[in-house]
Amino acid sequence: MVKLLGQEIGGKRVKHSMISRIFDNLLGRGSAAVTVPPMDGALKPNNQLENLQPGIPAAQVDDIVEWKGEPLWSDGATLVSRSGVQAELPSVITALAALDDTLVVATLDDGLILLGGDYQRAEIAWATPITNVTAISVDQSGVILFCTGSQTNAPNEWRRDLMETNQSGMIGRANPKTGEVRILAKNLRYPSGIATTASGSIVYSEAWASHIVEMSADGSNAQIIFDEIPGYPGRLCRQENGTFWLSVFAPRNPLIEFVLREPAYRKAMLQEVAPEFWIAPHFYSGRYFNEPMQGGALKQMGILKPWAPTRSYGLVIELSSTFIPLRSFHSRTGGSRHGITSALQSGNTLWMACRGNGEILEMQLVEKGKAL
Amino acid sequence: MSLASSIKKARYRWLPDHVFGELLSKSWIDNAIPFTIMIIVVGVVGSLLPNFFTGSNIGILARQYGELALVVLAMTTVILVGGIDLSVGSNFALGNFLMLYFLNLADLPVGLAAGLVVLICGSVGLVNGVLIGYLRLRAFLTTLVTLIIVRAIVDLLLLEYAQDMSMSFYSSPLWDLMGLGNVSIFPFSFVILVIVAVIAHVIFSRSGPGWRLLAIGGSRRSAYNMGLPVKRIVCLAYVVSGMLVGMAGILYAARLSGAGTDTGLGLEVLVLTAAILGGNSLGGGRGSVTKAMMGAVTVLVLTNGVLRLGLNSGSGPMVLGLALLFAVFVDVRWMKNRHKLLNTVYVSPTLMEMPEPRTTDEGPFKVNDRLSKVDVIGLGDVESPEDVILDDEDYLYCGNRHGDIVRFTPPEYKTYEIYAHIGGAPLGMSFDKDGNLLVCVGGMGLYMVAKKDRAVTLVTDETNRSFFSIIDDSRLRLADDLDVAPDGKIYFSEATVRYEMHDWPVDALESRGNGRIVCYDPKTKKTRTVVRNLVFPNGVCTSHDGKSILFAESWGCRINRYWLEGPKKGTVEVLADKLPGYPDNINRASDGTYWVAIMGMRSPALDLALRMPDFRRRMARRMAADQWLFPNLNIGCVARFDDDGEIIESLWDRKAANHPMITSMREHKGWLYLGGITNNRIGRIRLEGQNNRWTGWSSYWGKKSGENA
Repeated sequence: MVKLLGQEIGGKRVKHSMISRIFDNLLGRGSAAVTVPPMDGALKPNNQLENLQPGIPAAQVDDIVEWKGEPLWSDGATLVSRSGVQAELPSVITALAALDDTLVVATLDDGLILLGGDYQRAEIAWATPITNVTAISVDQSGVILFCTGSQTNAPNEWRRDLMETNQSGMIGRANPKTGEVRILAKNLRYPSGIATTASGSIVYSEAWASHIVEMSADGSNAQIIFDEIPGYPGRLCRQENGTFWLSVFAPRNPLIEFVLREPAYRKAMLQEVAPEFWIAPHFYSGRYFNEPMQGGALKQMGILKPWAPTRSYGLVIELSSTFIPLRSFHSRTGGSRHGITSALQSGNTLWMACRGNGEILEMQLVEKGKAL
Repeated sequence: MSLASSIKKARYRWLPDHVFGELLSKSWIDNAIPFTIMIIVVGVVGSLLPNFFTGSNIGILARQYGELALVVLAMTTVILVGGIDLSVGSNFALGNFLMLYFLNLADLPVGLAAGLVVLICGSVGLVNGVLIGYLRLRAFLTTLVTLIIVRAIVDLLLLEYAQDMSMSFYSSPLWDLMGLGNVSIFPFSFVILVIVAVIAHVIFSRSGPGWRLLAIGGSRRSAYNMGLPVKRIVCLAYVVSGMLVGMAGILYAARLSGAGTDTGLGLEVLVLTAAILGGNSLGGGRGSVTKAMMGAVTVLVLTNGVLRLGLNSGSGPMVLGLALLFAVFVDVRWMKNRHKLLNTVYVSPTLMEMPEPRTTDEGPFKVNDRLSKVDVIGLGDVESPEDVILDDEDYLYCGNRHGDIVRFTPPEYKTYEIYAHIGGAPLGMSFDKDGNLLVCVGGMGLYMVAKKDRAVTLVTDETNRSFFSIIDDSRLRLADDLDVAPDGKIYFSEATVRYEMHDWPVDALESRGNGRIVCYDPKTKKTRTVVRNLVFPNGVCTSHDGKSILFAESWGCRINRYWLEGPKKGTVEVLADKLPGYPDNINRASDGTYWVAIMGMRSPALDLALRMPDFRRRMARRMAADQWLFPNLNIGCVARFDDDGEIIESLWDRKAANHPMITSMREHKGWLYLGGITNNRIGRIRLEGQNNRWTGWSSYWGKKSGENA
């Protein structure tokens, strides 16, 4: 199940021979194959996200966190709760986490900052600057764990980072008491979600590798525990019972996989084509006629087939404590609830940040996972 | 960079790689490998041996060739029917012996003797045929047994008569001619071979019995199931084989006039090698006389060469054995991989540099929602109305993918009837002067539905074949849209000559000038291609003055004019280019302008890919067509332009709620009717400021007065 060809896990690179790579590229096999994993088993598509009631509008929604007993989400540079805008920061917020009554916030310009109970910024000087943060978590001892998606691209440039096939992401620990910062893993392919397990180990999602990795608290013993995800996995949120909610913010697509293996085309596209019209995953699609269209996505007899190839998709997966998918909620091709960037369970309600449609979704969960 | 790009341009201009795919798609390409082998063998042996290409040597070889090739032909006949005949060698020896016996000891005339020999050798074949065809024994073992038995008989006969035969010597002018003489400059045996080969070729390629024989070889069970007399034909194949071998034996006897125990020894391997090396499939069903002839040349030159080069005694059989192994290898690999190779090579995208499109942010192409409020007609009742047209009594016609012409009844257009059934996929439509409906049908050609009795008749389905085209482009594969010129000639487009209708996305991927404009003249009933190498030509429309026709080149995003008369007669000029989308059908508007359907919009990602043919080729190979990058067709747009190519206005269905991929539109009495090939409805929308009494038919054929003057 674990496939490590040419990927870098925790600093250890597993290579396959150059000759086999050349042949693969020539024949489109192996690592050059453009097939994407199927959605089956617990990932079988449904329309549960699409069928939800209209949510709370939030155009630039990104992360959700439970703070002071209620969900709080970021919408651009503002922090919003059910009762309205709580605070406005000078820069766009890229990740959130709660540390007791302190709110840990990552922004585009200021990196990782701490906000007190009244949203006042607390003074903290990190030993090294922390930038491009895509996700934050806090471990039992109160130390902040963070994902730097890429060294060169800010989180709002994630599509460019994918198209540049970078692997410059990092996982780090930042101690808010001392300001000490330690890098646990680097050269990762856009880590974009992080959580701790009950045993204290760290799990993180590596978006461009479409897998989830578990490692010890000191960064050793990294191993893939869930791979072949049919999309780009984002934030992870652990619940009290030990299961995780995984937000998959965009789908994988054979055409995109193919373009990722075509350096000349990709380079020209990044230079000449407006980002909106790239052959690249997105939070939403189908809005402009200049977007690239794939053959199967042509409306036939007035209907866009829900299984048609798409650049955007809505998917949230519940994973067991051993990282086996239990259930999933979908918004399929042609739907609007695409680009789920964050999910949070509060009581029996699943809160989801739907970037594609600019809204906060609420879903009443039915106990189903247990039976599996 | 500029050097690299100009090299690339030159490469795609002068190395049209679609030709390779088209060559591979020809059935005669099976001959390519055996032909190459033959040329190489002849070239190598000829250069190694002095005097190889001299007249006398060629003459000697041709005489031997006549005999050998007859036996190869015998073997080929049996292989084609799915069997094998190992007894050819001993049968050959039998024929040789009997001929000499009849002449020398029985004193029969040459003609009678030859006839008897052919019959007796044929009867050996008949034994094989009965055992294999009727009693269903294995061909290999059965003919192996006849090989041994016939050889034994020949040996016994030789023991008995060899002494007597060597004492006498038969001679007659005819016999000398057969053995040593020439007809004109050709050796007698070679002439016989040519006659037999021509007859055999005609039988195998152009006659019922030959086709049946090949059918049995290709699939014995299917042939049986379809009612072919399998047993009889298999049996006959062996009889024919025996008779051909008998003829070869006679010619051999005439040449050497000697019978020995080594006559025809090992001939079966030699002949089998020749048949397979020529490209006849060992499994049966695939092969030809030409292949047998080529294989015979290769083997004859090879064995002669080895002999005359004076190599060791074992090297002859060794070379032969290796050649047979090689032939079987090529046979198996070629048969298995030819279609795979064809699949990967046939699609060959070309370099296409798209000009910067006109803006859709402002000006006449500014995006709007004017088509969002269409009246929907026939929702769910019509599937794939590529074109819509109205007659002077306001009836609305469209095609559908079931092959019907559907007619909606005015004024509500709620009810409809199947006006006619054609089959195929009706595409562009037009009325002629008498109100007959002319229809382009994808995959079928140009058809007419008569006004008076709705009878469907074929107008034309072929045009003149292009001189240099490799694939046969005389049949119409994708007749797309048509219009009638004032003189009654019908001009229509064929979008592509390389693909069938449902493969149009592959043509889009290639973006080569694969299409053409064709003209049918009802007076002479002749069809001629008038313009070639157009990029998906589409939307033919006669101009208002009748002096030219307008047509769109869809993947080229331009509208052209082809002059029918005047100083520019016969030339094509670009009327409007740099369109932001892919133009489809063009039709007249009431105010002397024209409507054009824009079936989809250009996307910058695709425009970029069009500059990178290698990228598109790999895309086509590695992904299913559903995953390919297409033009963005989920948008509806119709535009209006005038005779100067100036775009006047555009109507959009921005969300493609009702009309994605609009392929056609017609103005009629102040309404605009919309059709789309992927849609299941027709739309109509009221036009502001257009003539409420104008109809298409009267614009073409009405009196030039009043409204339509």
